[in-house]
Amino acid sequence: MTSASPLEDDTPIVYVVDDDASIRAAIEDLLASVGLRVAAFGSPQEFLQHPLEDAPGCLVLDVRMPGQSGMDFHRQMIQLGIEVPVVFITGHGDIAMGVEAMKNGAIEFLTKPFRDQSLLDAIHHGIDQDRERRRRAARAAELRARWESLTSGEQDVTRLVVQGLLNKQVAAQLNISEITVKVRRRHAMRKMQASSLAEWVRIAAELGIR
Amino acid sequence: MSLFLIRSLSPLRLALNITLIGAIMVAILVADTRTDYEVAAAVFYTVVILAVSRSLQRRWLIAFSAVCISLTVLSFALTPHGHFYMGLVNTGISIASIILTTFLILKMEAARTAAHEAQAQLMRIARVKSLEGLTASIAHEVNQPLAAIVTSGNACQRWLAQDPPNLDRARQALARILDDAGRASSIIARVRSLAQGAPPDRTAFDFNQAVMEVITQSQAEIDRHGIALEMDLRTDLPPAFADRVQIQQVIGNLVLNAIEAMVAVTTRARIMRITSNLEDATISLSVADSGTGVPAGVQGHLFDAFWTTKPEGIGIGLSISRTIIEANGGQIRAEPIATHGAVFRFTVPYVTQGKTT
Repeated sequence: MTSASPLEDDTPIVYVVDDDASIRAAIEDLLASVGLRVAAFGSPQEFLQHPLEDAPGCLVLDVRMPGQSGMDFHRQMIQLGIEVPVVFITGHGDIAMGVEAMKNGAIEFLTKPFRDQSLLDAIHHGIDQDRERRRRAARAAELRARWESLTSGEQDVTRLVVQGLLNKQVAAQLNISEITVKVRRRHAMRKMQASSLAEWVRIAAELGIR
Repeated sequence: MSLFLIRSLSPLRLALNITLIGAIMVAILVADTRTDYEVAAAVFYTVVILAVSRSLQRRWLIAFSAVCISLTVLSFALTPHGHFYMGLVNTGISIASIILTTFLILKMEAARTAAHEAQAQLMRIARVKSLEGLTASIAHEVNQPLAAIVTSGNACQRWLAQDPPNLDRARQALARILDDAGRASSIIARVRSLAQGAPPDRTAFDFNQAVMEVITQSQAEIDRHGIALEMDLRTDLPPAFADRVQIQQVIGNLVLNAIEAMVAVTTRARIMRITSNLEDATISLSVADSGTGVPAGVQGHLFDAFWTTKPEGIGIGLSISRTIIEANGGQIRAEPIATHGAVFRFTVPYVTQGKTT
């Protein structure tokens, strides 16, 4: 990226969902002691009612809760498109449960009582993963915006050029003059912030244009 | 005789039965001998074999069948008139049916024994399984505060390791550790008293005050779920006579159930109504909620051990509640309400002029 994204300055946030108030308070305090920001909830519903922050995050989720279990909620999150990485904590983890959680994309599956460092490592891993996901999403949005700023004529030229066609061939296919192709090419490259043909092709590939 | 007969009968009944069977057999023998060869009276031995089959062990039943066959042959030899060839065939049929009947009875008994053993094994498994569930539930209950203690301990260490140490936060963590340790040990004490089936320690106490103590403990949980609490405690109640702590456990359990039943409710107000009253010479307490209610058809199971509608539940709360209430001389029951939600009501005896009701 050419400029520093404001995203990178955001302090991460850790969400904790556990029905047990003692566990909640203890985890909150542990995370506070290492300087992490925490928002704790007694149930998945409470978590859903709370707006997600625009910051890299990680969710520490208890498996065994009255009402909806943590495993069920994780599945619901996937359906709802909530992409916050999940670290499971459970009182009695069996292997099958752990395998299923990991298959669904959980960062870690920790059995209570857990080593504090294990939890912190998992949370940091989750935050890093979320930060990377957010960076990729921001980059994709940025490229998409650049692409949208092109006129349809410039988009047409771009599609053909990145396929490896020469200006003459592009002009013939689009039924326009070679001069026009050159002008649109220059405009398109500037708008796409591509300094070379190679970079232009790479950006087009990232956008899925062929 | 004890070897001969499986079922223990009184000596008189035994003698009567043996006499009756003997008489029938003599009658068949006489009929078979006196009638012509053409009449196969010996087939009726199968009826006698069927009649005695439940009382006889395997080898004695075989011996008895052998006796019947011998008697059939004897009758054949003694019968004076009729078509000899027909007699031979009829005797053959009689003997065949006696053997077949005996064989079928033996087969049936074997199947019955196998089924019985399978059932016994199933019940053993069920008992072990429910014990597993109970153990898992207790382990979970104790593990929660222990896990909180470990995490709080870690946090405390980290507050102290800071430069300068954050003594205030460390002190708060320690306070939580002490609370959780107390919680863990009270769970263990409760499990122990449960396991020992400790008789209730019944004393006279102010019922409403005991109720209020439980409510105070649960207040945070009630508020957190946005539940409106309505209290209607009758002020002129006589002192209750029961195990105060046990009764409070039951109240706590009912309140917790009510809260859990309303967690999923979003479309209507969450209301918990707690009412104490005098009812049929007992003190009654009812806990009503506007939750999901009791599904039709499960009413009969509500108080069964290890029976639950909660996906993560173990199903011992109401079962233990009933054990406690009954041990204290009261009753507990669930009452559905017309609109939605559920009402649980229990009764306990009260003190009247130095005596209990």
